[in-house]
Amino acid sequence: MAGQQMRIDEFRIEQEPYYLPIGNELAIAEAAYRDGTPLLLKGPTGCGKTRFMQYLAWRLQRPLVTVSCHDDLSTSDLVGRYLIRASEAVWTDGPLTMAVRAGAICYLDEIVEARKDTTVVIHPLADDRRQLPIEKRGELLTAPPEFMLAVSYNPGYQSVLKDLKASTRQRFVALSFDYPAAEKEVEIVCREGRLAPELAKSLVKLAVMTRGLKDSGLAEGASTRLLIQTGKLIGRGIPVKAACRASISEALTDDRELLAALDEMVSSLF
Amino acid sequence: MDLERLKEKFYLLVAPSLPNEWDVEDALGPLAESESACLDEIFAQIPAIWPVSHALCFAYLSAAGPALCYLALDELSLWVHTLLDRYETAGLHGAQLFMADVDQQFARPLRGQGCLRLADVRSRLQPYVNGLAGRELPLIAAVEAATDSEAIFLPGEVGVFAEQEENFLLYKLMVSFQWASLAAGVFIAPRFLALHRKSAHPLDCFFSEFPQPDHARRLFHLLETGRVLEFLRQELPGLMRSMAPLLPRLPLTGDEATEPNVLDWLQRGLLRGQWPADGHSPLTDRAMALMRHGAGLAADNAASLEAVRELMVLLPPEEDLATTRPLIFQGIFRLQEMRNLGMKQRMDKELRLMQATSISLPAVPKQADTDVHSGGGEGQGYDAALIMEMERAWDQLTPFMQSQAQQIGINEMPPPTGKPSQEHGPTQAVQETVSATEGRAGSAIARSPHAGGRKGEEMAEPVVYDEWDYRRKGFRKKWCVVSEKELPPVQNAFIEQTLKKYRGQIRRLRHQFELLQTGERFVRRQREGNDIDIDALVESRIDIAAGLPPSDRLFIRLTRDHRDIAVTFLVDMSNSTSGWVGQSIKEALVLICEAMEVLDDRYAIYGFSGMRRLRCEIFPVKRIDERYSKTVRQRISAIGPREYTRMAPAIRHMTSLFARVEAKIRLLIVLSDGKPEDYDDYKGDYAIEDTRHALLEAKAKGVHPFCITIDRQAHEYMAHMYGEVNYIFIDKIQRLPARMSEIYRTLTS
Repeated sequence: MAGQQMRIDEFRIEQEPYYLPIGNELAIAEAAYRDGTPLLLKGPTGCGKTRFMQYLAWRLQRPLVTVSCHDDLSTSDLVGRYLIRASEAVWTDGPLTMAVRAGAICYLDEIVEARKDTTVVIHPLADDRRQLPIEKRGELLTAPPEFMLAVSYNPGYQSVLKDLKASTRQRFVALSFDYPAAEKEVEIVCREGRLAPELAKSLVKLAVMTRGLKDSGLAEGASTRLLIQTGKLIGRGIPVKAACRASISEALTDDRELLAALDEMVSSLF
Repeated sequence: MDLERLKEKFYLLVAPSLPNEWDVEDALGPLAESESACLDEIFAQIPAIWPVSHALCFAYLSAAGPALCYLALDELSLWVHTLLDRYETAGLHGAQLFMADVDQQFARPLRGQGCLRLADVRSRLQPYVNGLAGRELPLIAAVEAATDSEAIFLPGEVGVFAEQEENFLLYKLMVSFQWASLAAGVFIAPRFLALHRKSAHPLDCFFSEFPQPDHARRLFHLLETGRVLEFLRQELPGLMRSMAPLLPRLPLTGDEATEPNVLDWLQRGLLRGQWPADGHSPLTDRAMALMRHGAGLAADNAASLEAVRELMVLLPPEEDLATTRPLIFQGIFRLQEMRNLGMKQRMDKELRLMQATSISLPAVPKQADTDVHSGGGEGQGYDAALIMEMERAWDQLTPFMQSQAQQIGINEMPPPTGKPSQEHGPTQAVQETVSATEGRAGSAIARSPHAGGRKGEEMAEPVVYDEWDYRRKGFRKKWCVVSEKELPPVQNAFIEQTLKKYRGQIRRLRHQFELLQTGERFVRRQREGNDIDIDALVESRIDIAAGLPPSDRLFIRLTRDHRDIAVTFLVDMSNSTSGWVGQSIKEALVLICEAMEVLDDRYAIYGFSGMRRLRCEIFPVKRIDERYSKTVRQRISAIGPREYTRMAPAIRHMTSLFARVEAKIRLLIVLSDGKPEDYDDYKGDYAIEDTRHALLEAKAKGVHPFCITIDRQAHEYMAHMYGEVNYIFIDKIQRLPARMSEIYRTLTS
């Protein structure tokens, strides 16, 4: 158990992460936490969902256990399994069980990527029972009041295969995230990318332009995260246009014509 | 080489054609003196041109000699490639113009010099402007730059500067400027403007207050140009920085004028910073002051409107502003079109509202529909109404939509069902508006379900595909028009008979297919897994006890093999499939459908036929998301021999449909009875190479093609088209139904 305790401590967030609130998301999330209601964050990639969770965990002073979901994620990956150690079968908690025991926040990132049968395991945890059955050990864990479950997904995939079951999603309080308004995004890029406001403003303009290319074949426009990365590259002495090419254009598409158009936007702005 | 030998060589190349001897002599005469290396290269192009057009080939032979004065020998094939493209877009006349000026039309652009065409830059600038605007603003070729708020018009060619790169920058400025005009609110009418005529743009109403409205318009536009340039400097500083050395080099009409007018002065000041000294004339002084310190820096156009009022008072009556051409990027105003578009959008919105509220009303009987235009019989009246409707719809199309429709040769298509391309959203709305505004509001609603119901009716907008021409190693652009047509369901005993005939076989097939179903299964002896594999653990304990190295594969893992497969059966419905062949194909389809029902694989069935490139037809029998219903069965019954086998457009269409389907494995199974062939000269190597290319395109997009054929000569060309292992030949057509399911099972397991 001491080992377990040490491990959960690794998930504590000691320093205040930078987060600029966009609306009332913090108030809603904190209220949900007090009520023991799980949280569903939706929004495009790189708009600040994960950062929000880090900030929330820091404010609530709870460890944050993040699981990036994928299509091979099984229930045992979440709950735990027996391992053979020195010819002995030893039970090892999965991240979800660990978070429940320690009263941490368990954040399942991109939950739609996980198989639907895997996500069912969170059902009893996500309603008023707040219980996690560990079938292999015959154990029924009841979550302490400090425990919180949060999941996220990107509704922009527009795929029937990547959608949440109604029975899953109706257990959550949902917060919708989008790219921040231009002024706020400039502030974020300035601060996180360590850039001059003028340059940050132009980068945000570029991002807005790329987000307008949805109908021209670009699945998603440049995210705030991409802008911050670009800012950091520029800070390291990479020329602006080269940084935009490497960090934005090339990251967004492989299509030659779209790349050329993105280059034109960059050369118009800088 | 003497003429006789040239002629002999020529006839050999164009065999089996036998063109007139005098035509050949005329064309080859000038070439008799050429060097043999040149002649070889010139003659090497003939097989690519002759099948496209004989007249073009003769014109080419006359022009090829002089063309080589400007071109290196190895550039000739590229020149011919471009020539063929030009012929297909602009006809023989266009091709002749292209050949007449080799230097300007080809050699200079090839070396990165000379003029640039909109077609060359559109692929780059279209997404650029969409990004700027955050919405689609189509770029359309026109005489002068302009915008009507829904599209941007640009000159078809720009050759102001010697270098292409500079001309490209100018194109980019034009696009950015027209967007900026919209973004900076040049066309927004301030509230204080009086609206004299409801149908006119408020700015036009404002200009008409003056005795010379055109002068007022020109002054306003130039003042606003100053403001828009300033706006661009703020919004797109990079663009304006790279344009800075080019702007002073733009030619101005004022350069040749003996007495420059106020617009000439302002243009010079704006582009070259050559502002006239104060005291030039009261008008110029004032205009200059307004532009430099007032209107040019304002946030909206109100200041420019005020400035126009002020300047028009100072404008001497004899001063003619019409001699000054607008700046090339500034272009012209299309205020009336803008107003019309605005009105139409409002009307559409109201109409939609009306439709939404009246949807529960009973449809007006068809009698009322035809009476309006009845000239003769009922049918005639209906046709006349349809034609009138089409014509009106055409008039209402924006120039962009018209140009798109013309580009794909839509007027060559069968007239009543041909709808212009879908690239511009409102087309449908326009047609609905038109039918509804003809006093037949009820029928506008009734028509929608009716439209798809008529026999052989088109179900969606036609799609245009390129066609591969192996002789020139390039695509014929926008060559084939593919339309999806409804196959009217047929009720007969065919399905029942088939089910009865193959009863035992179907049961066996279903069983076999059930075995294909995979779901969850445990895999033992894994290094990682969900649970401990007790057997492996016991063994490892024994190994340890026996002093052997134990295995570390002690876990059991649950794996899920999800069959994520989507398949499309593409059925040849050409004339040659009549009789036994067609019957067996249909039976095969029934069998495979019955078997597929036990699998989770998604599948679609399409038929294809058609005649000539403008009428390639696709008949959906079962779409991928459709259930295997009674209607689908009846459509299978309706499959019958039709016309020709232009296979490649059908394959391209299937590939584009597949692009919307998410599946790990995407399979395209083609059922055919012979070579690809069409009524025109689409046959032989040309057809095979085009089909092969379409299949390669499909593979590149992650679609696995496979062909089941019954053609006895299949071995000669099938391997070339599909690849050695991607086709199967069935010698006894009666065995097709049973074999097809077997083949599917083998392919997907």
